Formats: sequence, C-alpha cells, structure tokens
Amino acid sequence: MISRRRLLQLGGAAAISAPLARYLRANPSPTLAKRLIIFYFPDGIAGVSQTGQPSLWTPADSLAPLAPYLSQCILFKGLSMGPTDSGSHPGGAKKLLTATDGGNGISIDQRLASTIGHADPFPLLYLGAQANANNASGDMHISYVQPGFTTPPEDDPVAAFNRVFGGMGSTTSGSGGDGGGSAKLSILDRSREELQALEAKLGTVEKAKLDLHLEAVREVEMRIQALGGGGAPATCGQPAIDATGIDAATLYAPEMFPKILRAQTDLMVQAMACGMTRVGVIQAAHHTSDLIMSRFMGTDLYEQGFDMRSHQASHYGAAHDLSHHEYADYVKQVRWWVEQYAYLLSQLAARPEDGGTMLDHSLVLLCTEICDGNTHLHDDMPFVLAGGGGGAIHTGRTMDVGYRRHGDLFVAIANALGDGMTSFGDASSGPLAL
Amino acid sequence: MKWALAVLLVACSSSGDGTYDFASSKGAALYQDQCQVCHGETGEGGLGPALRDSKRSQGDLTTIIAMRMPANNPGQCTGDCASELADFIKHGLTTKALRCDAVPPGPRRLRLLTRREYRATIHDLFGMPALMCARATDCGFRDTCTSGACEATPCDAQTFVYDPHGQTLHSVHVAGDFNHWPMTIAAGGLPLTYDASTGLWSGTFAIGEGAHLYKLVLDETTWIADPRAPAQQSDGYGGQNSVLTLSCTGATTNDVAANFPVETRNASFPFDTDSAAALVTSAHVDAYLDAAQAIAAKATCGDCVAELGEKLFRRPLTDDEKQQYTALGGKTALAAMLMSPSFLYRSELGAPDGHGHYQLTPYEVATALSYTFLGTTPGDDLLAAAAHGELADAKGIEMWARMLIADPRARAQVGEFAAQWTGAINVTTADKRADLYPDFNAATRQSLLAETRAFAADVVFDGDGTYASLLTANYTVLDPVAAKFYGLPPGHAMYDGTRAGILSHASVLASMAHSDQTSPVKRGLLVRRNFLCEDLPPPPPQGGNLPAVDPNATTRERFSQHSSAPLCHSCHEYIDGVGFGFEHFDPVGRWRDTENGKPVDASGNIEDIERLGTDTQGSFQSVPELASAIATSQAGPACFVRQYLRFSRGQRETLADRCARGWVQAKWAGDVRELMVQSVLSPDFLERR
Repeated sequence: MISRRRLLQLGGAAAISAPLARYLRANPSPTLAKRLIIFYFPDGIAGVSQTGQPSLWTPADSLAPLAPYLSQCILFKGLSMGPTDSGSHPGGAKKLLTATDGGNGISIDQRLASTIGHADPFPLLYLGAQANANNASGDMHISYVQPGFTTPPEDDPVAAFNRVFGGMGSTTSGSGGDGGGSAKLSILDRSREELQALEAKLGTVEKAKLDLHLEAVREVEMRIQALGGGGAPATCGQPAIDATGIDAATLYAPEMFPKILRAQTDLMVQAMACGMTRVGVIQAAHHTSDLIMSRFMGTDLYEQGFDMRSHQASHYGAAHDLSHHEYADYVKQVRWWVEQYAYLLSQLAARPEDGGTMLDHSLVLLCTEICDGNTHLHDDMPFVLAGGGGGAIHTGRTMDVGYRRHGDLFVAIANALGDGMTSFGDASSGPLAL
Repeated sequence: MKWALAVLLVACSSSGDGTYDFASSKGAALYQDQCQVCHGETGEGGLGPALRDSKRSQGDLTTIIAMRMPANNPGQCTGDCASELADFIKHGLTTKALRCDAVPPGPRRLRLLTRREYRATIHDLFGMPALMCARATDCGFRDTCTSGACEATPCDAQTFVYDPHGQTLHSVHVAGDFNHWPMTIAAGGLPLTYDASTGLWSGTFAIGEGAHLYKLVLDETTWIADPRAPAQQSDGYGGQNSVLTLSCTGATTNDVAANFPVETRNASFPFDTDSAAALVTSAHVDAYLDAAQAIAAKATCGDCVAELGEKLFRRPLTDDEKQQYTALGGKTALAAMLMSPSFLYRSELGAPDGHGHYQLTPYEVATALSYTFLGTTPGDDLLAAAAHGELADAKGIEMWARMLIADPRARAQVGEFAAQWTGAINVTTADKRADLYPDFNAATRQSLLAETRAFAADVVFDGDGTYASLLTANYTVLDPVAAKFYGLPPGHAMYDGTRAGILSHASVLASMAHSDQTSPVKRGLLVRRNFLCEDLPPPPPQGGNLPAVDPNATTRERFSQHSSAPLCHSCHEYIDGVGFGFEHFDPVGRWRDTENGKPVDASGNIEDIERLGTDTQGSFQSVPELASAIATSQAGPACFVRQYLRFSRGQRETLADRCARGWVQAKWAGDVRELMVQSVLSPDFLERR
C-alpha cells in the first residue's frame, strides 16, 4: 500500500471567524473548570487477584506513565458503580456514564452538553477509535442520549475533523461569503418548523424522538449562525491532525489503532482549544473487545505472528503470574492505555491558557467499565481524574470514597464545571468533595 | 429507581375482566429485561421455575424477588422494582391475561430511514449513486452487482462485465499485464461466466493495486478493448488497451450516506432496523444536510417541488407545504424536502379510524410495503395504487404484497435479511491473520458475503422457498472467487455432506471466529441467540478465566475447562457443546481434518434445544445434523418468525405484540415468501393505537 502523509488542516490561517468569539465566554469564575474530557478504555485492569495479590493500579505500576502529572491527578479507592449486573461487561458499560442501572438514564456527557455546553458549536464531541468495529453498537457504546439508548461515536478522524473544522474553513472559500450558510439556515428553519408542527399534532406519540431531533436541528442552526467571520482564541493555532494512512480500508485495521486514537486525541484537544466544544468523550474500542493489541508495531505489546486480543488478555488467570502470557500482556495493555491518557494530558499541558495551561483549567477522566478483568466486579472502579479544574478541585492525592457511587463523582465534576446538579443517576447522595 | 408513577400506571393497567395492558406496564418491561431469560417469556419456566398463575401472594413474590433474585446475583431488584414485578406476575402472567382473543393494534411510530434505505431511495429517485441493480451493467465500472444491489468492488479487485448484445460466445476472458496476456483460459486467462438471466458475462478478480492494461478475449480468438473501461490507450498495434487503476489509498466513494452515523443495534437485535433506537443527533443533522445539498446540487429538476415532492414525501403535499417549499425555490427547496421529517421518517402514524384507534393511510401502507419488501421508496405504480384506494384493506395489501415480493428487487432484501440474521455481514471486517489466510482478502470476503445473499435469494425465490432449506440445503451459490476459496465449482455447487445450508457458509463461520483460532463460544452463541432466540443470563460475578493459549492443544481441549469449572458450566454447557460441533471449520470457514496435528473432534451436543431448562437435547456429529435438528425443532422455526418480524417491523418483540406474533406463526407453514405476506396481513399492521 502506498503510504502517503496526509495532513488535514484548514485552508488558511485566518479561517476562524469573529462571531465564534461569542461562544468563548469569559470564565464565569476563576474556580470553575472550563471543560471535561472523558477517556474510556475497555476491559478493566488487573485488580486484586483471586489469590489475594494486590492490584497493580498504582503509581509504581500501571499508572507509571502518569508520573509527570500525578500532582494534577486524583486517584480513587472504593469507588462503586453499584451491585446491579456486576459480573458483566455490558452491565458495567450501561452504568458507566449514566450511573443508572441498565443504562436507563442519560449519560453525564449528554447532561453536561445540555447545560454547560449548550451554547458551544458542538455541545458534545463524541469520538471513537474502532468503537463501531464489526457493527459494534448499542450497549457497546457509552454515551446515552436517551434512557436506554446510546448514540454511536464518530470513528473516522478525517470525517470528524471535517465536521468540526469544515464549517470554519468554508468561511474563506468565497462561496457567497458565508459558505452557503444562509441556504443551510433556510433549509434547517423549514425542517424545524415541520418537526414542531408534527410534534404538536402527535402529542405524546414519539415525542422524545422528535424532541431530540429538534434539539439537534437547533444546535446546527446556532452553530452556522455563529461561525460567520473573525478571531480565534490564542490557544487555537491552526488545527491539523496527522491522518496518514487512515482511510476506509484501514479504519478498522488493528495495526492502525494507535494512529487513529492519536488523531482523535489531537482533534479533541484542538476542538477544545478552538472553543468548538467543552464536553468531549473519547471511546477507545469497546467492551469485550477483539482489538488485537499485539499488532501495535513499535510498542512493547507487539508480537509478530501472535494475536492477543484485549478481552482475551483481560481474563488473565487466577494469579498475577507474569509467566502467564495473558497476564503479561494484560499488564502491558493497561499501561499502554494509561500512556494514551497521559498523552492527552501532555497535549493539554502544552497549550498555555489564562496564565497557566489548558490542563490547569480542564477535567480529564480516565475510566473503564469493570474493575478487574477476571471478576468483572463493579466496585473499586479504576478511575483517574486529572487536571486542575481551574482550581475547583484538589489534586495530587488518592481519595478513599468508602464505596460511594460514581454518580457522586459525576455530581462533583458537574459542579466543578458550573452545572449545579445535586444528584446524578439512581443512587447518588450528593457530590464527592473533590 | 423512581417508580412512583409507574405504580399508578400498573394499577390502571390491570382491570377486572382479566385483560392486562402489557404495552404500558413497567413490570412487563422489567420482566423482559431481567427475568424472562430464566423464567420464560410468559412465565412458562425454564432455567428458573414457572411463574404462570402463581399461587403465591403479591407480598411473598415481592419479598422473594427483593431477597433472592436474580438467583446468581441477588439484590438487584428491590423496593419498587420488586413490587412492580410482583404485580405483573400476579396480574399479567395469568392464563386469562395472556389469552389472545384478538390481535391488538400496533404502535404508532416514526421510523427513521436506515442508511441502506436512504441510499436506495436516493438512487431510485435521482438515479445517482448506483445501488439497486438487476444486472451487472446497471452498476458503475467499479461496482459489483450482488443480489440486486450495487456494491463497491474491493479496492484491489475489479468486476469485469461484457455485454455480448445477444451474440453467442463460448468464452470470454480477461488478459492483461497482471496475468501476462494469456491467449487462453488454460494459460491463465481470467474467465468471465455467463448469466443467462441477464445475458451478461462477468467476473470479479483481485488483480492488485496499481495501473493495469488489459483486454477482453472473446472465444480465445478476438481481442477487444473493454467497452466499459473509462480509459483506453494505444496498444501499439493499431488497437486499444483498456486502462484500469486500482488504489486502496484514499479510496473515493460516491456513497451519499458515507458519513451518516451507524445504526444502533442493541443486544439481542442483530438488525439495523431498530426503530426505537434510531435517534437523530446533531451528527445526523450535519450528515443529512451535507447529503441533501450534494444531492440537490446534482439533481436535474425544474420545478423540484412539483416534480419530486410527492415522491420524496411518499404522499401528496398539502397546499401549505407546496407554498412553503415553492417559496424556498429550486435547489434549496429540494434540499429542504430532503431534510424534512416527512422524508427522513417512514410514517406509521395512521389516521383516526372512528373507533378510537388509527388506521395506516394508503400512502403509509404503500411506504411500509415498499421498504419492507424492496428496501426502497414506493414506485409510481404503488403510489398510484394508494391514490386509487387500493391499499385501504387487507385484500389490497395482500395483492400488492404478493406483487412486490415477485419484484426482482425483493431478492436483495431477502439477501440482506439473511446476511444480518446470520451475522454474515461481519465477514468484511472480521480480522484474520494475513500470513495464515493469505487468500482471505477483500475480494474473497465480498464474494463470501455475496454467497450468503445469493443463496438465501436462491432458496426463497428459485428453490422450494422454505425456512428448512435455508438451514439444510445441500448446495450453495458461488461466484468464481468464492468457488476458488472453497474448491467448488462456480454457480450452483453441490455439497458432499460436510456442509449444509447457511450455517456452513464461510461468511458466517469466519464472522464467528477469531483472527487465528475458532471460537466455539461465538459460534455456539450465534446458534442460541440468532437461530433459537434464546438469550443467556449474563455471567456471574467472579466470572473466571478464559482458557490459556496452549499451542499444542486443540481449541476443544482448551475450552473444556468451561465445563469442568461449575461456575462456568452453568451457562457454557448451553454454548460450547453447540460450538464444538463446528470444529471442522477453521477460523475462515474452510474444512480442516486436524488442528495442531491432532484429529478434530467435532461431535456436538445441543442441550435444551427447545428452551433452556426443558431437558430437550440431542447430540450431533456434524453441522448438517445440527442444522437439521434446528430446522425440525419447534424453537427454530418460531425463532425465524421472530427474527423476520424484528427485521421487517424494526422492533424488539414484547408481550404486547405476542398475539400478533402468534397470529403470523399460526398462518405460517414454513414458506418464507408466505411469512413475508402474512407479516403485513396481521391486523396490527394496518390498525394502530
């Protein structure tokens, strides 16, 4: 295959236009976080083994790649997702961001999109890396747009880049000065009016479906109206991702996975830096993943002629025995996921913002749907919260939360972002004291 | 959980006359989610005890549920959840409440077009990106006509098509720089095959990336340039070579729906048609808007509203709509119509029938019939029938249903159903080790998927038409690439007894296997879930360890651990015993006699084939025996009805539609086309609430 370096970027440096600034609200309070990124990886970690060996989820072991950022992290002990469906990957994935049994509630990212994110060009940016592989869908995804129903992430970084930054680029394309924006607006206006009329006629029938559709139309209308012409924030720079070799034929090739995840991570950081969104989810693969991580060339996971899948390695045996192939690979896999999370933090830390870095003003959550790959339990969830949160949280510590529900963590995160919710999910008792 | 409102609902849903409103019962929904897998759909029992007509008091039931359920992980349903369920068990799971005296009306719904339906609709209305095809020449030069649908040929392959315009030929072959210009087929010419029904010669060959020169050779004597090739260049002898450039980098697509979000398939629903899960987010609106503007820019309508409005909305426009769209003008009006809910959703809302319910309008019936049987928008004839009132009753519906099922395009829709039902669609993406299976390339995968589609259509439309034959037929239908893969002749290829029916298709077997090993679990689960409609309880906490990869052991030896550990055995006895029966088929679905130098033991056992906990079981020695056991069971055909209704109606079945399912099942004697007809004659198709 011809390998061709393909750098996606905007047409011109002056592409981002003035009305965008309307979205870039002055931070309402210096002690609020500006943004949230949720970074998901599949199939848990090596927790306490069945023979009693302790978890490797420590700064000395699996979390070693986080060393430069530990002073800006909170590690958790005793964080619980509750007993329902414990023992199951899908059960965990359903509760992961909804904090609600069976995924029977909207997820925290969707909630925050509608509160703190609602005025942004993209209230929520949900990016995946091979998260739709082999028609994976439904309970393989973690963002619940309505109780019981997920929405799929965008797996293609090229399409995602074009969606996020294409509207900006079109402002300089010279097609009538507004990139065809006025035609789009009259089309959407008509669509909205028909949806409203239909909803009025139907009463409760399909109301939830039509409400969601209407909200989506309004979101796109607002974005087109806003992206008209002039000045981007200093953090923005000229958006670009390296999409070399990523195309329809390689989008689900395991050996391309690191590259795709990197491109999506870069896109997420730049979308945040350019004020396009403040709520983001990166879903790496999906639970019970068949992702063959031993095909990641140039990593210590690579093993020629031997396929080790994420889910296969996660069932590593009864003991933490490094002579066991699955266990040895699982430890490496988990560390690799943490490295990717650390890369995300490094990119935020590299961009100055308001006298500090973007990381100082962000919250970045690392999470997975079960604790231990063998037991599938939903207690002692291996989450990490990183970022200064604009001063709203106290980092550089391990927090023992005494088996409180992770919904309480979401309440605290939402509060730190300026959403004043008092409970989230079906077993919340108020915010954790972050 | 907050069930306070739900308690009120249930209190209202059980009335004194023994009827029970299953559609709005929270307890029924909870039961379906959490209990039915062990206690049976209607409380008939299975892995757990029967609950029908329970003699226990509601209070006792509440306590038992809260304290002891589910058996392998109690404490998950307490408080209101437990009392809701107890109420449902006492009032809903009774012989009286479950009786089907009449088929109740179906739900009023809006069904978002799937990506397939959107593409087919745009193709039919604008002739733009090719999708549906009757013959290979209906598709673009780089597309393949597979069971009535145009699909992009793999990036390293080409579908060659030659139209002899009636001239009788003995052979056509392709000769080029990729095969050293052979004079004859014996010398390595790539042979096209003749299809009498279309009058065309065609063949798909993986010739690799790069720029190629080639010619077609007729009867091994006449060398001609390919009339369909987009470019020719001089051959230096006064003739022309055809030029073909294949590239797998940055492959371009003319797929209008390329950037549409994927459909959401929830667990236990293998199809892309789930209406409740098809929700429009801003990612959809962005993609729809781009598509609408691109389609409008290429369209060639003058007064677009007058010319296309009724076709796009699948009904006449109201005066107000005409005025509003006309005011937008030309291409903007067209794009706006493509963004309208009247286009994006298939309306199943109906109009009041004067008896407190609703009846689908003739236009809604036309729409439903066309998308159900042809996967695309209704044609002019069907819309005219709606206008003439032909679709207002069961008689008209039946007549049109039979006509549409006889349309050649129905073949592709049956093929699509089969590909989704069996999981064969994943064969194009399922990872396989290229070093172990070098010929399992993009072209082979496409051909194997095409096999499943073509086989299903062949059985249903050209064969005896039965469900049983889908499982047990002793032949398949292969294109030259698939034929080479199996080592069987192209066309209708007879089996030698080692394979039978759709369960022995490589598309299915490879989809349900890993990259370098088989997976008795995936294959066993496929049979349980997709062919017997049996879901299994989730694994218990402390689930356990997957078998280690011992390079010297067979897959069967490694997985036998499942049945020796009691915790695993409780479920895996139902899965692995089935999956072991497929062990003669390697990870890409080819036959093997040995694994790691040891002879394959492919004896299988399917416990409780009729339903978990029924003590019905049978051992089998081969996939044909398994297929035959499923086909002759009660559970197999009943599951097929269920799967077809899921696909065609786009909804997961509930107790609320059990009487409609029973109605269809009772009218059905095993013929697939008859099942298709009965699915739209069931009273809940026309009548809605």
